[in-house]
Amino acid sequence: MRPADLLDFAWQVLRGSPARTLLILLAMGIGVAAVVLVTALGEGARLYVANQFGSLGSNLIIVLPGRSETAGAMPGVLIGKTPRDLTIEDALALKRSHAIRRFAPLIIGAGNVRAGALSRDTPVLGSTAELMDIRNMQMAQGRFLPEGDPRHSQPVCVIGAKVASELFGSRAVLGEWVRVGDRRFRVIGLLAKQGESLGFNTDEIVIVPLAAAQALFNTEALFRILVEAKSREQIAHAKADVEEIIRLRHEGERDVTVITQDAVLATFDRILNALTLTVASIAAISLAVAGILIMNVMLIAVTQRRREIGLLKALGATGQQIRLAFFTEAMLLASGGAAAGLAAGELGRSIIAQVYPAIPFQAPWWALVAAPATAVITAVLFTLAPARRAARLDPVQALSRR
Amino acid sequence: MRYADFVSFTYISLRAQRLRSVLTALGIAVGIAAVILLTSIGEGLHRFVIAEFTQFGTNIISVSPGRVQTHGASLGAVNTVRPLSIDDALALRRAPYVQLSDPVVQGNAEVVHGGKSRRVTLYGVGPDFARALQMRVASGEFLPPDDPRSARAFVVLGAKVARELFGGDNPLGSRIRAGGERYRVVGVMQAKGQVLGFDLDDTVYIPVGRALEMFNRESLQEIHVVYEPTAPLAEVEAGIKRILIARHGAEDFTVTPQQKMLDVFGTVLDAITFAVAAIGGISLVVGGVGILTILTIAVAERTSEIGLLRAVGATRQGILLLFLGEAALLAVLGGTAGLLLGWGAALALHIVLPALPVHTPWSYAVLAELVALAVGLAAGVLPARRAAHLDPLEALRSE
Repeated sequence: MRPADLLDFAWQVLRGSPARTLLILLAMGIGVAAVVLVTALGEGARLYVANQFGSLGSNLIIVLPGRSETAGAMPGVLIGKTPRDLTIEDALALKRSHAIRRFAPLIIGAGNVRAGALSRDTPVLGSTAELMDIRNMQMAQGRFLPEGDPRHSQPVCVIGAKVASELFGSRAVLGEWVRVGDRRFRVIGLLAKQGESLGFNTDEIVIVPLAAAQALFNTEALFRILVEAKSREQIAHAKADVEEIIRLRHEGERDVTVITQDAVLATFDRILNALTLTVASIAAISLAVAGILIMNVMLIAVTQRRREIGLLKALGATGQQIRLAFFTEAMLLASGGAAAGLAAGELGRSIIAQVYPAIPFQAPWWALVAAPATAVITAVLFTLAPARRAARLDPVQALSRR
Repeated sequence: MRYADFVSFTYISLRAQRLRSVLTALGIAVGIAAVILLTSIGEGLHRFVIAEFTQFGTNIISVSPGRVQTHGASLGAVNTVRPLSIDDALALRRAPYVQLSDPVVQGNAEVVHGGKSRRVTLYGVGPDFARALQMRVASGEFLPPDDPRSARAFVVLGAKVARELFGGDNPLGSRIRAGGERYRVVGVMQAKGQVLGFDLDDTVYIPVGRALEMFNRESLQEIHVVYEPTAPLAEVEAGIKRILIARHGAEDFTVTPQQKMLDVFGTVLDAITFAVAAIGGISLVVGGVGILTILTIAVAERTSEIGLLRAVGATRQGILLLFLGEAALLAVLGGTAGLLLGWGAALALHIVLPALPVHTPWSYAVLAELVALAVGLAAGVLPARRAAHLDPLEALRSE
């Protein structure tokens, strides 16, 4: 039989029982659509996290006080205190490295911001003018903290959009005075809305000069130093420089942890990819179930079409050709189902993307290839047994029995 | 038709096409097995996390400075304009139902002994810390009940620190340097292992007042309050808030009962388990489509048989029930097989990977079986209706 004849033959069979064909397409389609949809969700989450890290700034290195010997002990390092503080002097010493473009020391704490009779608890950030460039922040009005020696401060602050609207309503905020803790600051800038970024909402913060934050929280210790390397290639250099400079300043003791953004991002990437893959394979179980259905229906077809197969064989069709006819049928079913599934999955994805526009839902290319491929391969695998049974039919018996 | 006839008829028609029935049931079985296995893993994780937390006792409330929450932790633990002091912790002992209150500050410091040094997590705590968190001392004793504001320079070592610094020697009575100050070792804690990725043995405990001085800070990170297990939580919380507001003039702190944290964790884990089970459940739907397909074929094949049954007096309802019963039986058989399969897989997984907690919740198993039944019935409706509405004359003639 020619390939065209094979296709035509399989097509006639499929058209012969439309209800059966449609149901198998439905089963395959559900499986493929589930895989596509689930991987789109996973990939969306991954891209979302990657974007969030990107919005933190590029070529970023984070220096935090304290170091731990055991790998798992992150919580202690993340918020704990150390006997030897990371100070402004440490941060300024980083200027010596050639690999570093700029840096911003950071102090963070809980503060109480008041304007008139209104009061609100917000995170308070102490930093320098460089923070804006490093974190890619945008101003809606006014300007960011002034440049200058971080050891001295002016009583000025920059506030987030939500803080502004809650304290001042729709009034103009620039030039107004707010009270943070027991100090007064003049508002010189309003941050543009950026929304949530890694659990940290820039709409709800107040940024004050570093020295003011030190006085406010009565501490010398920096919470972090954010360092921007000159280029991607310089990150490793910058990291080594930071470690060395601070070690020399701390009497040879290595008591800081230096994290590169890439390392953190790579970890997240790995975890989310593994999760996506796991969930996709769970969804792919349904493809196996659809494969079982195809096998079942093919077996029935072999029984029902006994006479037809007998006739084909009597006319000179070989076992090989009979097998091929069945495989063609299975492949047509699987690819039809896969196409329907891809379309349905894409439709579902665009609906979800409409509902949550913030997250870039996008099925990864490997899922778009793997899901249909798995469908076709399962279909062929599960047709092996029925096709064999059909090919082995004895033409005389098949034709003689009713 | 009598009930017994009904059952035997269904059974015979399933047996007549043995391979077909087995394959159809297998579709459902795979779906159910996936759901059971996934929920087993989910429930096991849930129990594991809860056990990790409750080993410190459940009647704990933690009070931290500042009211802003990020990442689920209070930002006030880092820096705050309204510090929580040791005196606040002592005052909280007067709150109703409160048994203990324990001030905590935590940091990272180097401990040195005889040429060996190690960077560890350092806890500044009160004398009641071990009792509050139900941690046991292996040798020696925990910090003595000094006045926490001016305690003597004693230190208690975590199991791992003691092993790393002293090897096999007895550390009791030795002097070590922690964060540049000298301390005398009075006790070694029992090994506790990792709790949620946080090594509790790589720690040292010193009096809280000295830790505040060492870290040059004035605010505690949190205060652990232990209340009587039978006391009403709301009243305990209210009592704590009343005392602290009276001392601070405003509510500038966060009160988090352990119980609330457990509830949050439970909700999150349940949601994840449910989502994963639902994804596994897609196979169940595909299995349902399988039943639908096979029954549709069966109705077409057995047209003459149905016509005969109708001709000898079977009602439409009888035929409907017959096919529905067949669908339900297939689904339930598949469901039972899937249940055993999933359960066995969970057990096997537990034997191969003892670290992975697995627990099969029976409520889920029953639910899965009911869902299988529902899927079977739903899939059976269309073919059964078609069979019931066949015209007996036409059906008989199709022979």
